[in-house]
Amino acid sequence: MSSVSNDPDFLALIFENKGIILKICHLYCPDKQAREDLTQEIVYQLWRSAKSYDRERRFSTWMYRVALNVAISFYREGRRRIDAIPLSQFHVEIENDPDDDDVYKERTAWLQNCIKELKEFDRALILLYFEEKSHKEIAEILGLSETNIATKISRIKEKLKQCILSK
Amino acid sequence: MDDFELSELWSQYNEKIERANILNLQSWVLHLQTFEYLQTEKVKSRLNALGRWKQRVIILGLLWVFFLVFLIVNSLAWSKIFFVVSVSIILGFNIYAVIVYIQHAVLIAAIDNSESLMEVQEKTARLKASTLQTTRVMLLQTPFYATFFWSFQWMRESPVSFWLITFPIALLLAAGSIWLYRNIHPGNVDRKWFRLLFSGKEWTSVVRAMQYLKEIEEYKRQ
Repeated sequence: MSSVSNDPDFLALIFENKGIILKICHLYCPDKQAREDLTQEIVYQLWRSAKSYDRERRFSTWMYRVALNVAISFYREGRRRIDAIPLSQFHVEIENDPDDDDVYKERTAWLQNCIKELKEFDRALILLYFEEKSHKEIAEILGLSETNIATKISRIKEKLKQCILSK
Repeated sequence: MDDFELSELWSQYNEKIERANILNLQSWVLHLQTFEYLQTEKVKSRLNALGRWKQRVIILGLLWVFFLVFLIVNSLAWSKIFFVVSVSIILGFNIYAVIVYIQHAVLIAAIDNSESLMEVQEKTARLKASTLQTTRVMLLQTPFYATFFWSFQWMRESPVSFWLITFPIALLLAAGSIWLYRNIHPGNVDRKWFRLLFSGKEWTSVVRAMQYLKEIEEYKRQ
């Protein structure tokens, strides 16, 4: 594999941005076990795609693209423990997973449920919007035009508001 | 509810998610040896997953190709002209299928996830759906399974059975395979005959990929 992927700086960048992985996994995987598999798959694919990362460009844009692509494919294939490998001492464990008394209550739980009712591309889009990415960056990640992004965002926001209010 | 409230809600949700720690991701990410180990194991795991179905198909395909070559080589005579020509055509179709199958497996493995979501998802779906393209081409070989046993002697000695039974069967198969070749396409994915024909487990992902392609197209347009 490329030297980039074994570069400690590159690996540190992945760790610095681990929140991206975490949020995406929560968005596309309802259960903890599947989330662990998806986390492993995303980190593996980031490492595998390392040579395509252009250091002149923003790392998070590249990372969002890889992670979202992996998550959407994973979600669509309904994959669960298909090719995740037991890593023994290297096992990725998600600890202090938000439980029913925490995240899944009150209005945040409504938001989460409403987001999960969205289609996979809309979920990605709203995540990027909430993460305060510019329309240009969202368009770059999704591969759509900025105008299209703007229209979709307002439509999804409206859908979310309606959904939360109906809960 | 306004945009500000919605964003506030997201921030609260986000805070709670951020509190969930990936216990040993840091050491896992920073441990280079782990990545080497992971690479080896993942590749092995993927090859095994591939092997269970695709490798078997490729091996069977190759064995079938060798068998057909063996038959042709051992039948090179004017009296067996129908056999040699039919089997050669069938061989051509099967070589095409094996090459396309290997090519697809390689292309799917080489997809670059750092391209945009639309590009990657469309490419993946298109590759999966292209199995159908191979299938419709393969169907064109069907009539040649009804011609390899023809002979000039049979035509001369039993013209009635040949021209009234065998020949029409081959024609029927040819017409059927041409019809299928022309009608197996994404536009017919929701037709009853299409769903009946491609109802097996192996076809589910192909049909899903075709529907996904439609969804992607719609999403781009909306």
